Amino acid sequence: MSKIALAGKSGKQQGLQVCGICGNYSDYLSGITQCPRCGNDISLRKKHSLQKTWALLITAIIFIVPANAYPITYLLKNNILYPDTIFSGILSLVESDMRGIALIVFIASIVVPVLKIIALAFIACAVQFRWKLSQKKQLLIFGFVDWIGRWSILDLFVISIMVAVFDKGQILSVYPGIAATSFTIVVITTLFAANSFDTRLIWDAQRPAKKLSNQDSLNND
Amino acid sequence: MTSEIPKLSVGHVAKCIRCERVIYKNGWCNPSGLLALCITALLVTIPAFNQPLISLHLLGITEETNLLQGAIMMIEIAPIVSFVVLFCAVIAPTLLITSIAISSACITFDHKPIFLPKLFKITRLLIHWSMLEVYLVSLMVAIFKLMNYADLYIGLGFYFFVALLLLNLTIISNYSNRQYWERYHNL
Repeated sequence: MSKIALAGKSGKQQGLQVCGICGNYSDYLSGITQCPRCGNDISLRKKHSLQKTWALLITAIIFIVPANAYPITYLLKNNILYPDTIFSGILSLVESDMRGIALIVFIASIVVPVLKIIALAFIACAVQFRWKLSQKKQLLIFGFVDWIGRWSILDLFVISIMVAVFDKGQILSVYPGIAATSFTIVVITTLFAANSFDTRLIWDAQRPAKKLSNQDSLNND
Repeated sequence: MTSEIPKLSVGHVAKCIRCERVIYKNGWCNPSGLLALCITALLVTIPAFNQPLISLHLLGITEETNLLQGAIMMIEIAPIVSFVVLFCAVIAPTLLITSIAISSACITFDHKPIFLPKLFKITRLLIHWSMLEVYLVSLMVAIFKLMNYADLYIGLGFYFFVALLLLNLTIISNYSNRQYWERYHNL
């Protein structure tokens, strides 16, 4: 703690690590694993950040298939069951002339999850394979994805409201389908994936390879 | 990039020189003021979750719906969906306000309980999961969808919910986890 961090140099160059919880920095060369100020675990980078991001992303990619293919809600009307997938729900909104609402639902439940998976996978690839791309642009994309990600939960809230409103047993009811659970998993895993990604890796990836392997060995300690 | 944060005057921010993200914001962060806001928000929480958000005339019956009902009704068919909806719309916002209230109270009254660091940590995580504003937009979408089927009336709970949302946004934008840590160490 005695060292004072200088602006313009990375923590790694100065031998300092920043605590992700309280924001204070401490020496990492002396092998400190707990933040001296708040007592939480501290490390130079988020541990196994890229692995976790990939694992969660792959889960999301698997579950996005049933989320779009299977019915997300069932409408039970006069004893007949009408299934509705995400896409057919949007189409019926367009048909009943509610284009604005259809657009909101389309963006929140199709565009955002797909875009989020593609963008995160792209950034993770760029870090993994050390593509020479603008770091600031990558961070900008990440920031946008991180901010917009929460809005994909919108459809789930709408379903919960519909289920509560249409509750007349055999005459008129709404039930959530398999896709609702799959969609929830997609939303949650992508949120966690963005959360577990350490943005500093974007800069690490474009440093000379020697320093990076050095950092890897530190991370594994 | 790691750097010491210089002394900032109120309203100024410190940015990272590499990525230009704000790393420190010296905003208005007054624990006693936040405590007052949190207590108000907690009081508003009760009617916002209990009172009907919308009521609707359907098949000759007036049906009232509140925020909790929908999530709880799905618990048997789709437990994961039900849990996530409950967590993001009810549990996380309530816990967030409660934890900010407790930490503000501790700092205001110079009290340093042993659980305070844990509480700061939890608060920081909960901010991401409190999705009241998403719920409001969902409610709007649902209202527009339902207007096709039946006569719809906005209930008392809706106004409380909007008040809760506004209070929640004010609290989150003024709360600074970093400054609370600093004050904790100065206690």
